[in-house]
Amino acid sequence: MLAVPRQWLRSSAAAWAQKRQGPDALSVTLDKRRIYILPSRFGLAFGFTVFAMLLGALNYGSSLGFALTFLLSGLGIVIMRHCHYNLRGVRIRFLAAQPVFASEPAEFRFALSNDASAPRYEILLTHNGKESKPEDIPAGQTRVFTFAVPTRERGLLKLGRYQVTTRFPGNLFRAWSWLHMDASCVVYPHPAPRGRPLPNEAGGEGLHGGLERGDADFIGLATAAPGEPPRRIAWKAFARSDELMVKQFAAGEQQARILTWDSLPGLDTEQRLSQLTRWCLEAGERDMAIGLQLPNRAVPVGRGQKHLNECLRALALYEEPLR
Amino acid sequence: MTAAALQMPADTPDRLLWTAGIAAGATLPHWPTLPIWVPGLLCLSIAWRLGGAIFGWPLPQTLARIVLAILAFGAVLFQYQTINGLAAGTALLIVMVALKYLESRTARDQLVLIIIAYFLLFASLLVDRGVLMVLYLLGFVWFTTVGLLQLGRHGPLLGNRDMARQAARLLLQALPIMLILFLLFPRLPGPLWGIPGANMSGRSGLSDSMSPGDITELGLSDAVAFRVDFYDRTPGPDQLYWRGPVLSVFNGRTWSTDGPGMRPGMTELVEYRGEPIDYRVMLEPHDRRWVFALDMPAQWSDGRDIRMENHYQLVRTRRPIRSLFDYEVTSYPDYSTRETLNERVREYYLRLPADGNPESRALAERWRAQSSSEREIIAKALDIFRTEQFFYTLTPPALGANPADEFLFQTREGFCEHYSSAFTVLMRAAGIPARVVTGYQGGELNPLGEYYIIYQSNAHAWTEVWLEDEGWIRVDPTAAVAPDRISSGLSGRLSSEQARGGALAGIPWLRQAVLAWDAAHTYWNAWVIGYGPELQRALLEALGISRPHWTKLVTLAAGAMLIISALLTLYLSWSYRRIGARDRSAALFRQFVRKLERARVAPRATGEGPLDYGSRAAATLPDCAEEIDAITRTYLQLRYEPDDGRTALATLKRLVRAFKPAPVT
Repeated sequence: MLAVPRQWLRSSAAAWAQKRQGPDALSVTLDKRRIYILPSRFGLAFGFTVFAMLLGALNYGSSLGFALTFLLSGLGIVIMRHCHYNLRGVRIRFLAAQPVFASEPAEFRFALSNDASAPRYEILLTHNGKESKPEDIPAGQTRVFTFAVPTRERGLLKLGRYQVTTRFPGNLFRAWSWLHMDASCVVYPHPAPRGRPLPNEAGGEGLHGGLERGDADFIGLATAAPGEPPRRIAWKAFARSDELMVKQFAAGEQQARILTWDSLPGLDTEQRLSQLTRWCLEAGERDMAIGLQLPNRAVPVGRGQKHLNECLRALALYEEPLR
Repeated sequence: MTAAALQMPADTPDRLLWTAGIAAGATLPHWPTLPIWVPGLLCLSIAWRLGGAIFGWPLPQTLARIVLAILAFGAVLFQYQTINGLAAGTALLIVMVALKYLESRTARDQLVLIIIAYFLLFASLLVDRGVLMVLYLLGFVWFTTVGLLQLGRHGPLLGNRDMARQAARLLLQALPIMLILFLLFPRLPGPLWGIPGANMSGRSGLSDSMSPGDITELGLSDAVAFRVDFYDRTPGPDQLYWRGPVLSVFNGRTWSTDGPGMRPGMTELVEYRGEPIDYRVMLEPHDRRWVFALDMPAQWSDGRDIRMENHYQLVRTRRPIRSLFDYEVTSYPDYSTRETLNERVREYYLRLPADGNPESRALAERWRAQSSSEREIIAKALDIFRTEQFFYTLTPPALGANPADEFLFQTREGFCEHYSSAFTVLMRAAGIPARVVTGYQGGELNPLGEYYIIYQSNAHAWTEVWLEDEGWIRVDPTAAVAPDRISSGLSGRLSSEQARGGALAGIPWLRQAVLAWDAAHTYWNAWVIGYGPELQRALLEALGISRPHWTKLVTLAAGAMLIISALLTLYLSWSYRRIGARDRSAALFRQFVRKLERARVAPRATGEGPLDYGSRAAATLPDCAEEIDAITRTYLQLRYEPDDGRTALATLKRLVRAFKPAPVT
């Protein structure tokens, strides 16, 4: 019944806060200017009970009744201050959001650090009315929070406003801070179903010369012998296993292909992007060198995960106004 | 969104145990006064619910719970015949706790129980106010607050010891706020509305009849009857007779007031002499229309609805006094009533039951025959109280069918009502019109507030006799037996305390302990329980605020709160003070950054994240890209996902040591 005015109140308060605070950097330390606090619903019930006690104490002229009433009032006030300080000074950084394909959830990762000497309890993030799992952050430590935001279409998904919230201690109050970081996630187009074969077009000529035989297809790891060139050492694997390994490659399909916009007549923009995405993925599976030709942008021929990501990013951001 | 999280099931055994502890502990002080089935129901529901959570017992379905609720509420209604009033309300609340516990599933249910628990603690404070009870409650408020911290969480419960410490800190910080509010919150001198009937009936006070034992009961009550502020002159202790209902009708055992519709008071017949005494009375509600004043009131507040009835008693015209009632009176302790009694009225004040108390009658007739004047008869009667072995005691033996005879000739132990009753019977038997006057006698000076407190234990009964040329004069036979009672205003309570002390006199240390405990209790009662409008005013006067106005109180309280708040801020800033980076991983990463800087990578910008910095360095030094990437990722993993802290740290250490970037050419 009160949902609509409450929603309106909430959004206009948030808009006011945004205007007041301005946009945020990707790392923010919560100071008192940006922490808001209101009693929770349970807090209101608690306050109402204490008020009823006050009336009772007045009516019965009970001195001890007053004492308990005022002890609980004091407890409420103290808890309000503690709730505020539980949030104040929390350092929050946007870490990253790995690109996802449309309809997969985008995971925004944040690091919340407690640089203070006291532990902070029950800190959580809220976005669009959805709450993350609350976490306790011991003194001097950092915890990573993840938001899974559902995606529907490709493009740059902006996280928009979110809140850092706490209700500790006692759930009587809710202290929160609104954050407006420029956090976004690249959402690749949803890949079209398999079936349409890759177009059979030859790529740039200079490509073959640049590729050394034996460097082409990664087929596995082998124990490193002394004197291996550093760029062939599998550092990631080393980080995991302690053993120095080298990457071994086999020769793959050498023919590079250019995937063009015009090779897909009769499809609308999103369908074309989906199909190009599928082709890029298939090329990646077979370690084919590919290039991308879009009406407003071209990605030169290349191969490897990095190159694939670049292609997918170009497809995701096609005709996006930003970046 | 709060609501959603609170409605998640949260019925793990540890949460339920906490809730059970709170439900049991909060209701415990009420158990002795409850019908046995109420705590029984509570225990049953706790056992059932815990069994359900731990052993998977089937819990009652919705329908069964509704039936149970209806039965339980019906039982409360049947037991108390009402759901109004403190006792029935408390029982109802405890039944609700039991039923709520049985269906407790979500965090919200548990929080609701905590609120009810706080309220039950409050209710028990209205009933029992002893030191031990308060200590128990204080401990239990702590316990409940730990429960509040634990059950207010969404995550798994924290360590109980940590939270107990946290709750203790919160309560200790709340203590100064409590003290300020306790001392400064304006205390109303009376209830806001009528205290529900059940409680009113439990209140002690005078009644419109007097049987042996009635006032004795009041003698044990420490309730305040009224308070008096004398403006200029304070009367002597022997003048402190606060006039109440006059009892003229005797049925052989009980004295009672005469029916309504008697003539109004006849102030014009009173001759006031000497100095007047002006004072203000703050009368506690007693659910009667009586307004107490010193003998003999001459003037009283206009517009307070007070008039004088027959027997010179002041009453409120219309409604009974159900809230604090204050009024001003001018009295003259020295007075005489030039009232003449016609034959009919005279006969009325001589009336005694046709039979009963024969010995007393015979004695009175003998005095009448022997005496020349009525004054002499009165003196003779007082003389036997003075010279014979009469005892003033709170625990007199029970009297039978002829109370005056039995008291005068056999038991000879009694309280003021025995003396005044027997004396009035003697007077009437001797042909002197007489009646019993009840009211209060004495009062305790409160040295802090310079005012008198008249307790229910000051309730008193005396006699008025009518003499032909002097009108009604007061005779207090109790004064003949226990002059201390009158001259010092000490209540009868003293004798019972002496009795208690006396029984333990053989064991010195025990007696000391009893006396110390009594002193503690007395101080507790005087300063904590008794902290009301008077003590508050006295305290404020001591602070230099002579006429406490609410704006002054608010200013003072606000100032004190600001100071407390500032101290709290200081404390919180200190406890959340910044500490330096603790972990080795940051130090290792700094070492890595230094190595890169030596390799002529542009220095790390402030605010540049490790990931950004790493990719920039990798772009500058493409040969080391993989190493830089591995170090950066390991570092980030270590910082933000400290799940396998040890091995990752060792890896980072090795990677950073092994990292030897060739400088950019």
